[in-house]
Amino acid sequence: MRSHDSPSSNAKIILFLGFSLAALGIITNDHKGKIPALRTSMNIVTYPVKAMINMPYSASSNIAEFLTSHQNLSKENDELRRTVNIYAARDQQYRSIASQNKNLTKALDISSQLDDRYLLAKILAVDTDNFRHTVNIDKGTNDQAFEGQIALYGKSIYGQIIRTTPYSSELIRITDPNHAIPVQNVRTGDHALAVGAGRTNRVYLEQFDELENIRAGDLYVSSGLGTLFPTDFPVAIVKEKHYNPADSMTTISANTVADFNKVREVLLIWRDTKKLPKEIK
Amino acid sequence: MENLTLRFTGAILLTYFIAIVLSISHLPTALQAWRPEWVALVMIHWAIFFPKKTRYWHAMVVGLFLDSLLGSVLGQHALGLLIVQFSAIRLTERILPKTLLQHLFIVALTVSYYLLINLWVRSLTQDNPTDWSYWFTLLSSLIIWPILHALMKNLQVKRREL
Repeated sequence: MRSHDSPSSNAKIILFLGFSLAALGIITNDHKGKIPALRTSMNIVTYPVKAMINMPYSASSNIAEFLTSHQNLSKENDELRRTVNIYAARDQQYRSIASQNKNLTKALDISSQLDDRYLLAKILAVDTDNFRHTVNIDKGTNDQAFEGQIALYGKSIYGQIIRTTPYSSELIRITDPNHAIPVQNVRTGDHALAVGAGRTNRVYLEQFDELENIRAGDLYVSSGLGTLFPTDFPVAIVKEKHYNPADSMTTISANTVADFNKVREVLLIWRDTKKLPKEIK
Repeated sequence: MENLTLRFTGAILLTYFIAIVLSISHLPTALQAWRPEWVALVMIHWAIFFPKKTRYWHAMVVGLFLDSLLGSVLGQHALGLLIVQFSAIRLTERILPKTLLQHLFIVALTVSYYLLINLWVRSLTQDNPTDWSYWFTLLSSLIIWPILHALMKNLQVKRREL
């Protein structure tokens, strides 16, 4: 049996290495891009583990799809076809408005807005840190995903990409305490910042203009300030104002429009067509 | 304890792998706060029952893997697991644990170290947990320990006398 009576120099060196590694991680955490190579290579090495864990979940959903009765499928198909027709009609309207808009911007000599493009990404059934609201998706730099890219879910904003590897990326949800998104009240037009509450489907509103103008039930949409997020996507609905006598501050909590428990797929959005994968251009 | 040996080669590696898989596999949101610290528990088990095969670099490598998978600061879990292994070995030498209660004492102490170090790194990087549920995992780790121990002791067999 190996003696542990005195910590061998070996153990001391390794403990020291551990400390210095943690220190390095902490110091460089705020300065993204300093040690991306180490992080990215670690993530590439560990991706097969994530894919392996995700496999039973994706397999079970595939099997469930395979076993769905023909009647259900045809019913679903009918519904989808109907929605596609409605959307096609709407898209036609949108196109005419867009072309008008293009002509107008040309006439006014403003650089024209680019068309947005989308790509569907699946969320891996892998959990991350309990108190971080991050998820892994199956699209990476091979699909032209990039850091800071916005992910949408349905009509709402899901979050943005914080780390990429060739085959997968890490997404931060808008409910993460380290995430904030500029928003605007639909009713009054007041601006605010929706900061993640660290709890499922919950954000706090901060830096609002006037407290009295905010009521429970108010809808906040992304304001597009800072140009990172697209404008006019519903983000959160005000739940309650809570006055805390201890620090005489009022916190405004709001429920997110997207239900993050249910989401298994997100839409990645490219607002600059230069960064676009060729096949979906 | 001296003449115990592994049932098969790679048993240690396998247990660490299973622990890593358990610590990132998908759970319902309500249960996530109660997920035991699988990797730390496995590490404590090997440190108590098979100290001649525990190596500090195991803790380093497994910790880095966890950091990468959980998306935490690189080195956070590596540091925590190093402390876990170190303190488990040292405590085992002093207490020579025989009963379940003694084991639970070591587990409680080392897992608290682990959680404290994680908390310390988190607060340095402005990533503080939002409520007390951070400590639920200590309780669930203690609850799961007897089961884990009952399973893992099957991996060790008495060495045959030649």
